[in-house]
Amino acid sequence: METDLVIVGGGPAGLSAAITATSYGADVILIEESFSLGGQLRQQTQLHANLPSKFFAERGTSLVKRLTSQLETPNLKILRNHTMIGAYKNGHIGVTNGKTTFEIEAKKNIIASGAAENAWIFPGWTLPGVMTAGAAQILLNREFVYPGKQVMMIGSNSFALEVVKQLYECGISVQAIVEASETILSRDQALLSMCKKNNIPFFLNSTIESVSGSGHVEKMTIRTSEGMMEELEVDLICTANGFSPILEAFQIMSCDLTHSEVLGGWLPTYSVNFQTSNPSVYLAGNAAGITSLGSILLTGEIAALSALESLQFISERDSNRKKAALWEELYQIETFFNKDTMLARLELVKHYHSERGLPLPDFVDPLKGEMLFG
Amino acid sequence: MINNKYDVVVIGSGVVGSSIAYHLSESKKNNILVVDKGFPMSGTSGSTQAWVWVHSKTPSWYGELSMYSAELYPFLERKIGDVEYKRTGGIAPFFNEADREGALRLAEKQAEVGIEVDVLNREEVLEKEPALSQRVAGATFCKLDGNVNPFRLVELYTKAAKKNGAVFSFYNQVVTITKKKDIFQIETDQDTFYSKKVILAGGPWSKDLGKMLGVDIPIKQVRGQILVTEPQSPFLKHTIGGIRQADNGEVLIGYSKEEVGYDKRSTLDIMQETAKMATEFIPSLAKANVVRCFSGIRVMPKDGFPIIGEVPEVRNAYIAAMHSGITLSPLVGTLMTELLEDGETSIDLTRFSMNRFDQMYSRISE
Repeated sequence: METDLVIVGGGPAGLSAAITATSYGADVILIEESFSLGGQLRQQTQLHANLPSKFFAERGTSLVKRLTSQLETPNLKILRNHTMIGAYKNGHIGVTNGKTTFEIEAKKNIIASGAAENAWIFPGWTLPGVMTAGAAQILLNREFVYPGKQVMMIGSNSFALEVVKQLYECGISVQAIVEASETILSRDQALLSMCKKNNIPFFLNSTIESVSGSGHVEKMTIRTSEGMMEELEVDLICTANGFSPILEAFQIMSCDLTHSEVLGGWLPTYSVNFQTSNPSVYLAGNAAGITSLGSILLTGEIAALSALESLQFISERDSNRKKAALWEELYQIETFFNKDTMLARLELVKHYHSERGLPLPDFVDPLKGEMLFG
Repeated sequence: MINNKYDVVVIGSGVVGSSIAYHLSESKKNNILVVDKGFPMSGTSGSTQAWVWVHSKTPSWYGELSMYSAELYPFLERKIGDVEYKRTGGIAPFFNEADREGALRLAEKQAEVGIEVDVLNREEVLEKEPALSQRVAGATFCKLDGNVNPFRLVELYTKAAKKNGAVFSFYNQVVTITKKKDIFQIETDQDTFYSKKVILAGGPWSKDLGKMLGVDIPIKQVRGQILVTEPQSPFLKHTIGGIRQADNGEVLIGYSKEEVGYDKRSTLDIMQETAKMATEFIPSLAKANVVRCFSGIRVMPKDGFPIIGEVPEVRNAYIAAMHSGITLSPLVGTLMTELLEDGETSIDLTRFSMNRFDQMYSRISE
């Protein structure tokens, strides 16, 4: 199978890259390991605001439909239920549908593998009824199954509070939110006032001690700020311990990795063009650092433009003009979401360029300026 | 804080280095340090099928060496503990009647040194191992062959050596080795060690260690890629050329040999070739899912045979480099101990000396 560009991952970053790449006439193959496109958007019933200018605030579930409706073009081939499992000696990727394994001869690859939730480990963490916040959200919104009746949320980032809100709205009783640090991590005012309005208690400075039950979660013990043990009856424990980039595909392609706590741990190094140390591999989305949906969409577009430029579907001048605008928008959106994320991303990119003696293009200058003076 | 003066420093804590350290530590005559650039099992010993394989090792003097080592395993287990050594018997199938003659010749040659190899016909092979392809023409069989758990083996060698006072230092790469008078000065990432004797047991990395002593060690790096299936119900009784089933039901499959330096990546080309060969040998494996694959960089002496003995021109420096380190480790540990403690060995090591390569080269130049 031959193509100009293969995109690995059909979540928002991969879809955004596919829309951009096909609009310039490139032949694209999109690989998605599940039966449906959209990735984590598929269970996100919440409204996503602060998206790039060409979008408006929208629920994740309806954004998937909007994005996939733009993919009906003859130069795109979508391989659902296909997984990238390796690389051939010649550097091409290999995919399988479980029955046959074959090579995709692509000139360039964009890997948009997304992120995985970090588990939280405590005595009893393997009991049924303990799951990540994301898993509870999938059960609720995608499978229409109640994950439990009485929930305890461990962690207080915005994603945790969003899932608490969705569980609460479905009639699940929220016992409390447990947070190890001394303040609530989320700064989302709407979510915070939702918790307040509904009298959802927070245990700050508190940690989970253990979970017990026969065959299923029945009880949990938390150690509170005063060192007291508090026992609560729950049948569902959701953990929100943040996300980390999914790296297997990059490791298969021999991309250099680096570590950044702010960006989610280990991740590939990349240039201002979202090109990794393997010149045939670009990346986009949460794989390039954990961020918000708006940034995920923009990075998909930048990666696609960079690949298109190297395949000569767009001139360097036009590509740079567009990328300058996209980087500026990325800067605005990401800074609003979490300025540290943007700073860590710029740091990573600067390091990639300086290590290789590559100048940063002019369009990064305003960002550098803002970094220095902002 | 570890001491920095030793009688013997072993470089490399894989199956060969840890076996030498253990056997040498038994007499408690020497202060021993084992130093490794990584952690145990991060190199060749942790990426092997771990056969203890005798029957097709030719010429017969090489087979003989392998046999003696295999014979030592049951005794070794009594000393260091359960290394999951299983003498399953080994089957090397052939699919062409024309190969029978070669099989008979192998059996005849190996019999000269006391290795019993049976040549089986089609029915006999299928009776022993019903899962093999119906297309099989015959096989050679040797009841001495088997396999071992390499993780337990290296761990227990290490534990037993430590118990006898040997010191291990991991994540401590050797950077230079210099000899001043009769003492080796070994600079590592973290320390400087002094030693009367040094043993190179770095597997494929011994090439780099040799350079530090100004010696070109005639070995190559060979990559082997191994596929692992999801656990299957127990259905393979023997160690089969290229395939074995582990205790937990997983089937390990690997045949490949590539010269690609230290590149440890796995490639789909080889994975697909390996899977294809496996299903030709054992058709029912076509239904098994492969859950992972791994590569190991193995050492291959230029003529294929073990290098065991003193490093030419560098007194008190020794080398142990061989492709079949798992099979040979009990014997090599024993022989190196004899060599270091008594200056002579119970098995003549002339054939395994590194000097043979000089003769080879000089023959070539004639």
